[in-house]
Amino acid sequence: MSEEVTIARTTARDDISPAAQVRRATFVLVGSAVLGALALPWLSTSYATTLAIEIMIAAIFASGINLLVGTTGLVSLGQGMFLGLGGYGIGIGTTVLGLPLWLSVPATLVLVATLAAAIGAVCTRTRGVEFLLITLAFSQMFYGAAIKLRLTNGSDGMSGIPRPDLGLLGLNADSPVVFYYYILLVTMLAVAAVWRIAESPFGSVLAAIRESERRAAAMGYAVSSYKVGAFVVAAVTCAVAGILQSQYTYFINPDSMSWQLSGEGVLMVIIGSTTAVAGPLVGAAVFVLAKQGLSVLTTEYMLFFGIFFMLVVAFFRNGVVEAFKSAFRSKP
Amino acid sequence: MSTLEVRSLHKAFGGLDVISNLNLTVPPGQRRAVIGPNGAGKTTFLNLITGWLTPTSGAVLIDGQAVATHPEEVTHAGIARSFQRNLLLEDLTVVENLRVACQAFHPCRRVFWRSKREFGDLFEQARQAAEWMHLTDILEVPVTHLSYGQKRQLEVALALCAKPKILLMDEPAAGTSPQERARLIDLINRLPKDLTILLVEHDMDVVFATCDIITVLSYGKVLATGTRRDIQEDPAVIEAYLGRRHARG
Repeated sequence: MSEEVTIARTTARDDISPAAQVRRATFVLVGSAVLGALALPWLSTSYATTLAIEIMIAAIFASGINLLVGTTGLVSLGQGMFLGLGGYGIGIGTTVLGLPLWLSVPATLVLVATLAAAIGAVCTRTRGVEFLLITLAFSQMFYGAAIKLRLTNGSDGMSGIPRPDLGLLGLNADSPVVFYYYILLVTMLAVAAVWRIAESPFGSVLAAIRESERRAAAMGYAVSSYKVGAFVVAAVTCAVAGILQSQYTYFINPDSMSWQLSGEGVLMVIIGSTTAVAGPLVGAAVFVLAKQGLSVLTTEYMLFFGIFFMLVVAFFRNGVVEAFKSAFRSKP
Repeated sequence: MSTLEVRSLHKAFGGLDVISNLNLTVPPGQRRAVIGPNGAGKTTFLNLITGWLTPTSGAVLIDGQAVATHPEEVTHAGIARSFQRNLLLEDLTVVENLRVACQAFHPCRRVFWRSKREFGDLFEQARQAAEWMHLTDILEVPVTHLSYGQKRQLEVALALCAKPKILLMDEPAAGTSPQERARLIDLINRLPKDLTILLVEHDMDVVFATCDIITVLSYGKVLATGTRRDIQEDPAVIEAYLGRRHARG
């Protein structure tokens, strides 16, 4: 009797398709990650909580970049510009104009979306290296403006950027634990929104554009308007990361708009995977942890980080997440 | 049922006239082949009709209405095409290629807040397009894993997803094996009879087996138009293109 049950169980397991097995494993992993994230402040040190906050902000930034790089096939070196604009938006709104945060945040996002539509209309007329360079040029333009303008307080940056007032809930966002949960909530919403967009009919047009712009146009899609749409969504997502980053440090300066930051975002996406939803999250985690770990060991950490990046690309050619999926599928 | 009309079409690249004063009318439901030697301007002609190139002068009309100048607008106007070189969504599966092609005519095409899986009718349309071109057994296969012949079939299936009034095919049999070619002929002949077809092809067996009327281009000009017999007996066509092998008698 027990042998029959064992055989039946084995057969049932064998009947599950590899895709279903990956889905099940993904569900277990995502569930564990969410539970782990919820429990983290109670189970670990404040340093770990701080690192987790940095990872989550980086993950939102990388998710925005991945919508362009992974989904649409447009490699941008200008997404740091939108991260900076998010931070400066609420900085100027709250500290210069004296607007409340609840008004500054949506106003900033609308402004970023409008700017992104205008910049995107120009940038998306190009492809490949030209797209990369023109986004870099725009980014440098805004970087230069942030350094020169009195409104942004030049290279000194702006301080005193407020965190949300959670007094109605009896909470204080200046508390690291409360701020952690605030960031966790926004991260889950932002990543879910980007995932839904990538999986939507609109997202499948972006994938078609990535594969062949000419074919997408021949199918009947106005390719340029879809590319501008992707550019705007990616910009708004990066701006959300910028808003959180400036609230986390209570500060924003022109470095937030640097091309290096945009490059780091692209690295996160490549490390994680351009084809998986979890790619930017895993990439952000690997990037932040590797950078922190190496910077503890040596001041020349960037040299070793370069070597680390080369090793990741060499051994996980489609990113860490895809390597995990492949290993899982090939398991006998 | 739609008529394709090309009026005084002219295209010059610098000082080189690739298409010169070309006039052509394809009545509803006709299967028209456009043949000619390499460099005759056949692909340029298709690119002008489908908006990939802008004519220097002249017009393209469907049922007397001027066709728009952008490729996506041309597709929505009822003209779909397959390409000489495969232009497929290589990393996606066959069914996803077809689903995305069908989606271009669905109200959901700009929807970003709902999952694409919610629009099951698109998967049904994709399966129907796959049936037309005998691709139902390989729906879940990524395009990159298909044989060359299957990719050529998918090229035509993608064009059919637009439910076109007029289908343009640019050398669909190029590079295929004799078996794949025979299957392609069969598939073209099974397409709905009210579909107007303009076929650019070098393979005369495919042309003779699928088309009613043949137009011969040479140096961007119409050299002759007529039935298979007319063309095979035309000395100018034999001299410029067909040679003795395909000439009649």
